[in-house]
Amino acid sequence: MSESVARLNKFKNKGKDANELRRRRVEVNVELRKAKKDDQIFKRRNVSAFPDEATSPLQERSQNCLAARQWTVEEILTGVNSGNAESQLQATQAARKLLSRDKHPPIDQMISAGLIPKFVAFLGLTDCPPIQFEASWALTNIASGTADQTAAVVEGGAIPAFIALVTSTHQHISEQAVWALGNIAGDGSALRDRVIKHGAVAPLLSLLAVPDMSVFNTSYLRNVTWTLSNLCRNKNPSPPMATIQQILPTLIRLLHYEDPEVLADTCWAISYLTDGANDRIEVVVQTGVINRLVKLLGYDELPIVTPALRAIGNIVTGTDEQTQAVLNAGALNMFPLLLRHKKANIQKEAAWTLSNITAGKDNQIQEVINAGLVHYMVDMLVRGDYKTQKEAVWAVTNFTSGGTIQQVVYLVQANVLEPLLNLLSSKDSKTVLVILDAITNIFMAGDKIGEADKLSLMVEECGGLDKIEALQAHENELVYKAALNLIEKYFSEEDEEVQCVAPEATDDGFAFQVSDHQSSFNF
Amino acid sequence: MICRTLPGFQRVALLVASDIDALCACKILQALFHCDQIQYTLVPVKGWQDLGTAFLEHKEQFRYFVLINCGANVDLLEMLQPDDDSIFFICDTHRPIDVVNVYNDSQIKLLIKQDDDLGVPSYDDIFRDEDDEEGDDSGNESDEGSEPSGKRRRYDEGAVERRIDRQRAKREWEARRREILFDYEQYEYHGTSAAMMFFELALVMTKDTKDMLWWAVIGLTDQWVHDKITHMKYVTDIAIMQRHVSRHNHRNEDGENSLSIDCMRISFEYDLRLTLYQHWSLYESICNSCYTSCNFKLWTLNGQKKLQEFLADMGLPLKQVRQKFHSMDMSIKENLRDVIEESSNKYGMKDIRIQTFGVHFGFKNRFLASDMVHATAALLESTEKDESDSDNFIKALDSLSRSSLKQKCLVLAVQQTVASCICTNLILSQGPFLYCFLMEGTPDVKLFSKPMALTLLCKYLLKAFVHSTRNKRCKLLPLIMAAPKDVEKGTVIVVGIPPESETSDKKNFFGRAFEKAAESTSSRTLHDHFDTSIIELKTEDRSKFLDALITLLS
Repeated sequence: MSESVARLNKFKNKGKDANELRRRRVEVNVELRKAKKDDQIFKRRNVSAFPDEATSPLQERSQNCLAARQWTVEEILTGVNSGNAESQLQATQAARKLLSRDKHPPIDQMISAGLIPKFVAFLGLTDCPPIQFEASWALTNIASGTADQTAAVVEGGAIPAFIALVTSTHQHISEQAVWALGNIAGDGSALRDRVIKHGAVAPLLSLLAVPDMSVFNTSYLRNVTWTLSNLCRNKNPSPPMATIQQILPTLIRLLHYEDPEVLADTCWAISYLTDGANDRIEVVVQTGVINRLVKLLGYDELPIVTPALRAIGNIVTGTDEQTQAVLNAGALNMFPLLLRHKKANIQKEAAWTLSNITAGKDNQIQEVINAGLVHYMVDMLVRGDYKTQKEAVWAVTNFTSGGTIQQVVYLVQANVLEPLLNLLSSKDSKTVLVILDAITNIFMAGDKIGEADKLSLMVEECGGLDKIEALQAHENELVYKAALNLIEKYFSEEDEEVQCVAPEATDDGFAFQVSDHQSSFNF
Repeated sequence: MICRTLPGFQRVALLVASDIDALCACKILQALFHCDQIQYTLVPVKGWQDLGTAFLEHKEQFRYFVLINCGANVDLLEMLQPDDDSIFFICDTHRPIDVVNVYNDSQIKLLIKQDDDLGVPSYDDIFRDEDDEEGDDSGNESDEGSEPSGKRRRYDEGAVERRIDRQRAKREWEARRREILFDYEQYEYHGTSAAMMFFELALVMTKDTKDMLWWAVIGLTDQWVHDKITHMKYVTDIAIMQRHVSRHNHRNEDGENSLSIDCMRISFEYDLRLTLYQHWSLYESICNSCYTSCNFKLWTLNGQKKLQEFLADMGLPLKQVRQKFHSMDMSIKENLRDVIEESSNKYGMKDIRIQTFGVHFGFKNRFLASDMVHATAALLESTEKDESDSDNFIKALDSLSRSSLKQKCLVLAVQQTVASCICTNLILSQGPFLYCFLMEGTPDVKLFSKPMALTLLCKYLLKAFVHSTRNKRCKLLPLIMAAPKDVEKGTVIVVGIPPESETSDKKNFFGRAFEKAAESTSSRTLHDHFDTSIIELKTEDRSKFLDALITLLS
């Protein structure tokens, strides 16, 4: 952390940006959290609603003939408590079916009926694999609900029972247990760590410890991958470092397995692991995974490209060396595609990534120039969607603050001024401030080579001066000050006049003093 | 009426569009506010941008906004993004009303006549409660590329099938919704005059006065003059107004309350369709009125001859006809209307007379409602240099309570230009529609940079064209007209009007078509006017825009 702050202080906008960049990543998380919360509220409402859906007889017929109609929760409870193995199996299957219908599964009723401990007990009935399977499925679906519902499953003692089943010789049972553990770990940091503490990682990894993973059917492999990704997921706290190091080699192997869903979930796992402090990024970088990630950036499948880009974007928030590793892997060659991607979200994430690369050393900025990306940056300012434009503004500002004079000149020659100034009409005062920073940086570079006047003219010609002047009436004081500062420094015609007046004023003052002395002498 | 609530004793922001009907409605509402001592701020708005700015400027101080002849045909909440406690009262003749406005009853209050046929799609056809949509959100592949869900439920086979079924049903529902909305939003037209609506509101509150009645009449007449409503609708509404007029006149007849002859008196008239003839010479009025000039084809030599014959047939001496109407011999004036009607019938002009209203101020002045409309329109769209749009608005608003027509000259100019434009025959048939472009440098071209004037010109031009062309197909075509708007900015104003026919339903599809054409060619257009069939366009984009329009409509 401190190392990163130091680096940011050194390079990224001279100490101003450390918190800035952090903030931006937090923002993403806030969005995600919000989405998740909405999702839960959504689920809760649906559960409480509860009109039963009539099941078409056609669909029922095709299923096991045990249940021609839906059971009530009471009937299930009776069956489960009957002590008769066959009735218990039937009841558990009926419960599983109720929980598997797509609308309003009666999760809360099952919980309050006290069925969870029963089902957990069934998980241990090694003599009767069918009931192990049905109970696993039922519990999986209960754990897929709200945090409270998942917690109820955990309190029922399900974690160790499921871990025992992971290595079951019946693949379908193993798969269901893996899925259930995924649901529990996916609830958040706390339950994730409980799953890890119970020792789930080793058996899970042992499943994939085969020379060739193509022996598994795809759905099985997908479930294991997804559960592993949930074990890497969530921050505050992040997963234990030891666990990450334990899982990473398997993730790298999965990253070479050509199935879109496996690849997507693995990339997400990597993106979670890189979303954190620099030491966590370092662990991932050390595995040499970057080359593979860069290749995946070029895939057609959006579900793969999105997390791969997120992972790369996370890595370049790290140290200059970590960023350099990304550049060395040739990541910049992928950016022309990404910055013009048909999905606006990819454009935005790519721009965000780029902004963190231009926040690096000037040789890294030079690599951005060499990859021909400056024109893309300008283009994004012109026609990106609003979020992309915001990121592009950051990329430009970071560029102007860390770049050499020649590099800034190159940027200006690429016509960055007009679109940049146009965005001053943005409603977001943060963005406006960042743009004013960029303008100030550009002028400072101009000052050094004595071209500030020319810049003033360019700004004026594209209507930028009017915009800056208008900002003097901005409600945000920082914006007002920054705009005023720019105008006073670079756009006041009075500059010369002041200089002409100054000597006269001194003369007057001098004259006055003299007369003063004289009069005092007189007295 | 769907809604009659007026806000209590809070200050109200009054946002009024620039058309005559809106002005009249505004006058009535102002009078009502005056009665109840409600404070208000009046803001004239010319287009959507104005409306947006006006809202932004006033949203802090005001909770209640009254919108007259603007705001109904867009999703207002989406456009203005108001706080939850801002409330909009909308009285707008623009149709179709945006469905969200119709079904939002917390912030949008619409003032609409219940018997106006709105044809709004039913709620269930266009909105679906979120609850029904649970199916795809709980699925884990909802949005491609989004983060996987933390928890996943395992469905049974049947559930998956049902889910697919439901998704299919949803897609079908959505397709149907698009179709319904397309049908609903396809045509633009106008509903009952806003001034009439407010008059009826005043009536319900028993605060109606004769002034208000006159304003309501002008509002209705504006709709007729500017061709916004069908002839049927006009006649029906005139009948309604006639009942109110006779009620008001009766009220003043009983001895005690009888009013001085100098007071305003409204009367039902079966008067001539000759523009401003009482303030002009009869000859010039005939020459410049749309109805007569189109029927005689006055832009032809033959037409001129016919006019002379017509005058001879009436037995009116040329000298009398050419002098100011108020100087004409009383003996001629006495049964002038009958004489003209008789001769007109012979010349195939069976509808030379129309039901309308007149107003008398003592013995001094007498105006027809349509003359008021023309005069006010001229004021509202005055192109004199040093006058801002809001100056014009205020002047026009004032003119509605004055008892004289001061701006006659301006009206004459409009009328004469109409006549001269008809002569030049600039209309081209473009296949699916007729097209006419007023070149920069045409006399009085500046007048027609204003939407109302251009629409009026458009209407006259199309009538004239239909009378003069021999091509049967062309008679059924709509007309698009363009005129220079701002030479410096290089923009033109474009107006589209529906085909001209006696039975026309006045429904206008150009709004949608303009949007589509602009979108497909990325022409630089400004759809700012409350009538979607009036837009601004960059001059250099004109040809590609028209090409796209031709492809779109053929």
